[in-house]
Amino acid sequence: MAVKFFVNGMPAEFDGPEEVPLLWVVREHLNLTGSKFGCGIGLCGACTMHVDGTAMRTCIMPVMMAQGRHVTTIEGLSHNGEHPVQKAWTELDVPQCGYCQSGMIMAAASLLSRHPDPSDADIDREMTNLCRCATYVRIRAAIHRAAKLR
Amino acid sequence: MSPVSRRCVLTGAALTAASLIVPIGGRAAESNYEITDWIAIAPSGEVTLGLSQPEVGQGSYTALPQILADELDADWQRVKVRFVTGKAAYKIAFRQEPPAQKEGASMSTTALFGRLRIAGAAARDVLIRAAAQQWNVDVAQCRSENGFIINARGERLSYGDLAAAAAKLPLRSDPPLKDKRRFHLIGKPLPRLDTVGKCDGSAVFGIDVMVPGMLNAAIKTARAFTGQVTAIKNEAEILKMPGVHAVVKLAALAIANEDAGVQHPQLPNLPRHNAVCVVADRFWQANRALDALDVEFDGGVAADLSTVKIEAMLEAGLDAEQGVTALERGEPRQILKERAAAVIERRFLLPHIAHAPLEPVNATASYKDGAVEVWGPVQSVSACQEAVAHAVGCAADAVEVNVTFLGGSFGRKIVPDYVLQAVQASKAVGRPVKLIRSREEDMQHDVYRPNAGGRFRAVLDDRGYPLAVQARVAGQSLFGAVRKSWLDHTPEGACDESMVDGIYNQSYRLPHFLVETVDTPLPIPVYFMRSVGSTAAVFFWESFITELAQRANIDQYAYRRNLLANDPLALRVLDAAAQASGWGTTTDTFRGIAYNCYIGRGGRFKTYVAEVVELARIADGLAVTRVFCAVDPGLAVNPNTLRAQIEGGIGFALTTALKSRITFANGGAEQSNFFDYPLLGIDEMPEIVPIVLPSDRPPQGFGEVVLAPVAPALAQALLHATGRRLDVMPFPEDAFRSRA
Ligand code: FES
Ligand code: FES
Repeated sequence: MAVKFFVNGMPAEFDGPEEVPLLWVVREHLNLTGSKFGCGIGLCGACTMHVDGTAMRTCIMPVMMAQGRHVTTIEGLSHNGEHPVQKAWTELDVPQCGYCQSGMIMAAASLLSRHPDPSDADIDREMTNLCRCATYVRIRAAIHRAAKLR
Repeated sequence: MSPVSRRCVLTGAALTAASLIVPIGGRAAESNYEITDWIAIAPSGEVTLGLSQPEVGQGSYTALPQILADELDADWQRVKVRFVTGKAAYKIAFRQEPPAQKEGASMSTTALFGRLRIAGAAARDVLIRAAAQQWNVDVAQCRSENGFIINARGERLSYGDLAAAAAKLPLRSDPPLKDKRRFHLIGKPLPRLDTVGKCDGSAVFGIDVMVPGMLNAAIKTARAFTGQVTAIKNEAEILKMPGVHAVVKLAALAIANEDAGVQHPQLPNLPRHNAVCVVADRFWQANRALDALDVEFDGGVAADLSTVKIEAMLEAGLDAEQGVTALERGEPRQILKERAAAVIERRFLLPHIAHAPLEPVNATASYKDGAVEVWGPVQSVSACQEAVAHAVGCAADAVEVNVTFLGGSFGRKIVPDYVLQAVQASKAVGRPVKLIRSREEDMQHDVYRPNAGGRFRAVLDDRGYPLAVQARVAGQSLFGAVRKSWLDHTPEGACDESMVDGIYNQSYRLPHFLVETVDTPLPIPVYFMRSVGSTAAVFFWESFITELAQRANIDQYAYRRNLLANDPLALRVLDAAAQASGWGTTTDTFRGIAYNCYIGRGGRFKTYVAEVVELARIADGLAVTRVFCAVDPGLAVNPNTLRAQIEGGIGFALTTALKSRITFANGGAEQSNFFDYPLLGIDEMPEIVPIVLPSDRPPQGFGEVVLAPVAPALAQALLHATGRRLDVMPFPEDAFRSRA
């Protein structure tokens, strides 16, 4: 039986094996490649999407768990990159190689929806995504900036 | 070929031939006028600037076009950047190698600064001449400004209006360059041009490439570096799995070498199949089939490679009767012998480490009738072309390489082993194939940063400063493995300068000085990694200076100041870092200071760096709170991207100092993913205080320079706080437990 869910507001359907990770369904069947593959075991966060508004690491999330739910990818976070997190990110020029950044932005957006004005300790605790380029200084500053822009 | 040569054609095809993503066959055909190898202008006035250096995160995508646009007097709001390849103008020479189109050795800005200025100025010059002809006035009456040529009467013609005529005029090879005071883009902290695409998901990385008819491949490689495939037991079953097209055995690759055809000297000869990939419609299908594939490998001739053995070799190298002399000044051997009882000695040890870019290596290749096209994260177009050409037997120029954004590289993606694997897979199935390595495959089949050990001995004079010093570094020689032509040959054997980079070439006052290397060859694929040998060598060296200052009971900053007294540029960064950090005003913080002058390959540049690492007590020990980093980078083309390199470079170095270690057992690497090869997290990232000193020197290399002083400065701060000497990297986990 096909798994039915919504991606960026549009209905989507996948009739392959239920345990295929959501990440690959979104990347390969919906051609939304903004969400990345970094580790495949839930450690790096490059694959972060929102599922019903909460950040999830989709490389380890079987597509069947998305049944009936609303998935948001970086492509659907806003029109024209105007989400406060994206605005803060561009204002502070956070990305270096950029590979981790869609996951970072999705994780930060989810953090801000729970903690509208997060402390540094909140950021340390919640932002567990990895950045090999170590853009963390600007990520922290951009989260604080985004909190002001909201 | 002169850097400003061009074909005067009415097309943008040459520039767009390798845009960031192009479908097979179909090319975006804009009618652009190619003004130089680097610049095309559309009738609309939109300026396309060629970028020859892959964007790996360092900011070349912005800083290099900035140079062109400044000399061109282009309107920065109307420029577009395209990756370009295929011309001699895009190649730069690294040491005594033939020129290549690649990013590496922090060389891009230094090597291209003058060339891009000339290209921009030559284009501006023909635009001015075209305008002068049109107005029928003298060129002296025309000036350029922000995308327009303006004459004495105040009339204006846009670059778009002039492009067709300008493209027909001959270029000057010595166009008048701008006075530096007229720079309107160079030196400005402009926002990066690639940021927006990297924040909305539209930036295309190698892993995102899609070309028509493409299949996907997942790969499994023999654990042992010398291993091979001995049996595939259920191929027929696997081929029946949904979406699966083929199971392809892949030949072991011998390309981590300056000569595309030469095998790593310590690895067994080709041909040998050491990997197998499953090719399927979708990557997830290939991956599932690979999981189900019953494949057996052997370990080959070096199946017994292990860290225990490697470290024993290293220790033996450090204690060997003789090393290869890299530098000898005065009478160090004699003094150290005569005053044996007074010798201060320290030993150090560093493991192999992995690049671990967040985007695992991957490539898309299309092999058709002997012609090859490649898409992907490629740090060296030239190395990729040569390796593919060698593998399939065509001319290097016949290999078309489309470079995407690179999701990190740090040197890794210069070695195109993963590209060749995609080419082999495409050849086997007759369709384009994208091959993606899992994190585990990426980690266990990296081309590692070599290990190193240090043995340092010194005798102090009666004021406590070094009289005689012996610095010996042993380890797997990088040049010995992959750059034989870069070795310096001495009567005692070959010397690899990268092993002692940051030791032999500094300006410390050392009257009697001996620097030695000892190669301990290993069957481990190795390659350059961001900051190369200096991460090890400077850790050893600066930690040893720390030891000597402590024995002499002299302040660490004052000690270094004294030893560097004859080098004003060194003192400048040292003073700046110390002052910014409030050195000497210690309350309950602990500080460590370290210095390095990073010298580009072949002496191409000199970037001066001094760092102070500051620790503070927290509930359960110590934490790095701030890192002060003073640099003299010459002219900072883009201070924004330069600061980003300081911030990120220090974070990268902290990962190396605190976490990175690849160990070996049964012939292969033991670590496989981020649980056993962790990266620094945001909770461990200190505040960074960059101090960028103004300089009249041209731009010096920057991408690697801030890394090396981090570990020794941190070790020194920890020494002050805990009294414990750190002599291995990564530092032991309890190094931050305060003892006091
Ligand atoms: S790819 Fe999903 S957490 Fe790393
Ligand atoms: S920007 Fe490169 S991994 Fe984060």
